[in-house]
Amino acid sequence: MSRKRDIEELEQRRRWAEQQGGEENVARQHQAGRLTIRERIDTLVDKGSFQEVGKLTGAGEYEAGEVQGVTPAPYVAGLAKIGGRDVVVGGEDFTIRGGTTARLDRRKGGQGGFSEDLAHQYRIPLVNLIDGAGGSVTSAKRRGHATFPGVDSFDRSVDLLAEVPVVSAVLGSAAGGPAGRAILSHWSVMVAETSQVFAAGPAVVERSLGQRITKEDLGGPDVAVAKGGTIDNVAASEEECCWMIRRYLSYMPQNVWQAPPQGPADDSVERADDELLTIVPAERRRAYHMRRVIELVFDKDSVFEIQPDFGTALITCLARLGGHVVGVVANNPMVYGGAMDVAEALKQCHFIELCDTFHIPLVFLVDVPGFMVGLQAEENGVLRAGMRAVYVASQATVPVVTCVIRKCYGMAGMATCQQRGVNLRIAWPSAEWGSLPVEGGVAVAYRRELAEHPDPKAREQELEAELREFSSPFRAAEAFGVEDVIDPRETRAYLHQFIAAAQSRLATELGPKARTGVRP
Amino acid sequence: MASVEIQSDVTGTVWKIEVKEGDTIAEGDTLMILESMKMEIPVVSTDAGTVAKILVTEEEPVAEGQAVALLNL
Repeated sequence: MSRKRDIEELEQRRRWAEQQGGEENVARQHQAGRLTIRERIDTLVDKGSFQEVGKLTGAGEYEAGEVQGVTPAPYVAGLAKIGGRDVVVGGEDFTIRGGTTARLDRRKGGQGGFSEDLAHQYRIPLVNLIDGAGGSVTSAKRRGHATFPGVDSFDRSVDLLAEVPVVSAVLGSAAGGPAGRAILSHWSVMVAETSQVFAAGPAVVERSLGQRITKEDLGGPDVAVAKGGTIDNVAASEEECCWMIRRYLSYMPQNVWQAPPQGPADDSVERADDELLTIVPAERRRAYHMRRVIELVFDKDSVFEIQPDFGTALITCLARLGGHVVGVVANNPMVYGGAMDVAEALKQCHFIELCDTFHIPLVFLVDVPGFMVGLQAEENGVLRAGMRAVYVASQATVPVVTCVIRKCYGMAGMATCQQRGVNLRIAWPSAEWGSLPVEGGVAVAYRRELAEHPDPKAREQELEAELREFSSPFRAAEAFGVEDVIDPRETRAYLHQFIAAAQSRLATELGPKARTGVRP
Repeated sequence: MASVEIQSDVTGTVWKIEVKEGDTIAEGDTLMILESMKMEIPVVSTDAGTVAKILVTEEEPVAEGQAVALLNL
């Protein structure tokens, strides 16, 4: 009989957990346009796959030794499946004390804790659904002393970045620890209008600097995604956010000891679109849509762009080619002619390391006139950031194929090649390269001659035309200074053959990669 | 009537203005062409509407994020 009572109590306790912060707080969460943590997990994972761990955690109320109710701990975590593969998922329950830290013997997750230990030991991806504001000064009163920063260490979060895919979604106003946790991820996403992220929120900002600013203006996607690049992508809704997380993980292996999953090869690798022949305008000064080039070359509907709103002169995406996962890095001539500024350099560094870590071969579609020029760029440290991109490219060991669409100049051009590898560089007939573009370069190299010339403008144009003849990719191909010049329509088949062949190398290189040295 | 600002994505100079005030335009139409980094960079409309005001003149320098035209939706 008492066994039956035990089971009844267990079921009662589970029901209390499912009530979360109570009807009123759940309604408030919905009114704010947000899902509860349990709804989020349901939306994210394969139907019925969530095995919660620690459902009984919370603060119990007792009368004469009989439990009257339990206020659940404000964190829900467990094991689930996404696309049939195991993942660890966890997130704060904002309906309970605003998702603040629970007072448990062991953390459930978020910053260390059970969920991070599980992802680490089982070597499976971790998804953090973040909706909490972190520490509060009131905890010092409760404990009787102020806690030293790091009582909840980020060490496990840091280690995971070398082991398994880590995804974080910011789904409310995140400051402090939860905000920091979001950054220690391979990929992060936030939801437009309902989420903000910052080191410190408006109240702290006003007290510290006298600045009055709304939380949306301080940490909405316009700042956190487009300007700061703090968070990678924006979703229009929580549903879209969950879809994006599933999509992102579909390109990733379970851990760095495995190869990325092979997708369906239902788009013919021989597909050769005529549009590729005319997409680059004959007029050299005219820009074109690089995203269209990417669509035409890689498998249909396989392109997932990372950081589309930050460092917009560069495009980084995960895609498939004949079903093989590839990382695509392409310059965007629509923004500053594709020049590499600080944001572009940081974006490229992160993406290269991401692909290198998870054994995803890289394809560069190059149209880069060089590092960004001008006072603003120099003040921002473009040279240091740009050389960091060169440094990171040099350390990557995953196979790289470089396809030059138009411009490939200078040190930014060097960051698109893998000189220590096979260094396969192929070029479209529209390609041109050198240490710097002929325009501007002539003015520097022939400064004295031009100064003394009666018509310097005409002479400059004459010299430019003369030098441009040498920039034909066919001449470099004669010298094997570029490995091949191809018909743009052959790009897909050509790249595919090499990416498919590179799988042999990738299979022998699985495991974590140590990167040594000091990045510039 | 709702109106939107069309902003320049880049710092550069206005090279050629392709529309005039009162013109009806579709989303994606080129409003003007800027010159930046020796490239012609089109400023394309983010919405369909009519051109309410052109805020710059040819050869004028523009900054990244600067409003270059107003559109009535």
